[in-house]
Amino acid sequence: MPKILVVDDEEHIRLLYSEELKEAGYEVITAENGYKLLEKIEEDKPDLVVLDIKMVDYNGLDILQDIRNHFYDLPVILSTAYDTFKEDMKSIAADFYVVKSFDLTELKKKIAMALETRLPG
Amino acid sequence: MMIFYEENPGQVTEADVVVCIPTANEVESIAVSTTQVDKGLREYFPALRCAIINCDNYSSDGTREAFFSAPGTIPRLYISTEAGVGGKGRNIRNFFEKAVQLNPKALIIVEADIKNISPVWIRNLGEPILKGAGFVCPLYVRHKYEATLTSSIIYPLIRCLYGRRVRQCNVGDYGFSPKLLDHYLKSPFRSEMIENFGVDIWMANIALTSRLAIVQSVMGALKVHRLKDNYLHLPAIFHDVVGTIFDLMQVYDDFWKQVKWSKPTALFGTDLQEVETPLPVDINIKRLHDMFVEGFDRYYGLWEQIYGPIVAPKLQEIRSIELQHFSFPAQTWMTILFDSAVAYRRMSPEERKNLLDGLLPLYLGKVLSYVKKTERMSLQQAEDYIENECVMFEENKPYITKVWTKGEGN
Repeated sequence: MPKILVVDDEEHIRLLYSEELKEAGYEVITAENGYKLLEKIEEDKPDLVVLDIKMVDYNGLDILQDIRNHFYDLPVILSTAYDTFKEDMKSIAADFYVVKSFDLTELKKKIAMALETRLPG
Repeated sequence: MMIFYEENPGQVTEADVVVCIPTANEVESIAVSTTQVDKGLREYFPALRCAIINCDNYSSDGTREAFFSAPGTIPRLYISTEAGVGGKGRNIRNFFEKAVQLNPKALIIVEADIKNISPVWIRNLGEPILKGAGFVCPLYVRHKYEATLTSSIIYPLIRCLYGRRVRQCNVGDYGFSPKLLDHYLKSPFRSEMIENFGVDIWMANIALTSRLAIVQSVMGALKVHRLKDNYLHLPAIFHDVVGTIFDLMQVYDDFWKQVKWSKPTALFGTDLQEVETPLPVDINIKRLHDMFVEGFDRYYGLWEQIYGPIVAPKLQEIRSIELQHFSFPAQTWMTILFDSAVAYRRMSPEERKNLLDGLLPLYLGKVLSYVKKTERMSLQQAEDYIENECVMFEENKPYITKVWTKGEGN
């Protein structure tokens, strides 16, 4: 069962994502911010990260840089309320992005695509 | 061994960071490039042994003298093909052969005719390699109408085939590791196109199949060439670049057939404080339309043969649209590219040349369509438009895999 790490400082989002993604057949773990996130990834070895961009005291795009530098091929999906983040070049290091919504259809589609992505090697 | 002439006044036998500046009669710009590279190496790699190599096509305009007399302190080497032997690819090959003797930790190539090269570019291309990356490709600031060959063909096709999102992979300035140098030296495929304009996409293509980590470096700057005539070398560039992509599809089909969807790369240089604004690019849409129409009149018979009864009528429909409302559907364009690659595979060299001649006006029609669709869009919106086309290419990957495999039985 693929393991998904949801990083978001809003508790209701973590709960919503956890329940829906568990129902969709994923194992879900959560973090409320970027604190010691790289250690958590190293320890829990998620197959994919869903990452909020704007968190109190943490910039998701900076966290994305750290993840990409340490876990080169770990899929990361940016989760955001607005798509203005695309003007920041750092966002192109994400596999996908989704606009936050209570309907998780798009997120589940992107998760499936990210987990299906296959490169030799 | 192609190196015909070598000068190594400092008797350099080892270097940690080696920078190549390929030239063919670049007396007007080589001094500026060399000085900036020299500054970059001293500023960002002060503890490492560095060298700059001018890889030349036996220039007769004083390029060699200008290279050696440019201000700076980093040791320099000059190597050249023999007189009358040209092509950037040959200079790059000479660089590989010389560089491997120096046992480097990082290798960098920068073009000689860049007017605005700055020392930080050397950091951006070299540092990720010293930190473990295999290949660094720059991300320059570009206007939405710049490098349309990349946005219309190279980026969507290469990304769909090899599964890595490298936005400016034909840019000509790269950093790479000694491991990747080894791949280049052992590459099973060579061609006249790779000896010329095809060398940049050949390097990127091999990097993409090497399984080494790829980094895109944010340069925060435009890349301004000394001389730029968008149409002057277009037919030759188009032939060499697209032909090389099609050639390498045959070499690496075991690789790309396994690829599904695509992945991003890591980024470097996101700490740059200032980012330049792209310069306006003039596009002559009337000329593009005229060239598409002329191409239609000349090549429609060939297109019917290659692209078949589904695509050919669509091309007639596109031909019938006036300039004001001109549109070239992305789905049709994608099918044309995929079918071209498959047809190219089983053609003679002369037929391949003809196919590429015929593909050029179709590309110009696609560019015209892109310009019209994005004329009111911001740079970001135009990037989103290209992104959507790339996703469409990826969604249709099973088509190219199917028609390619079907062709294997013939």
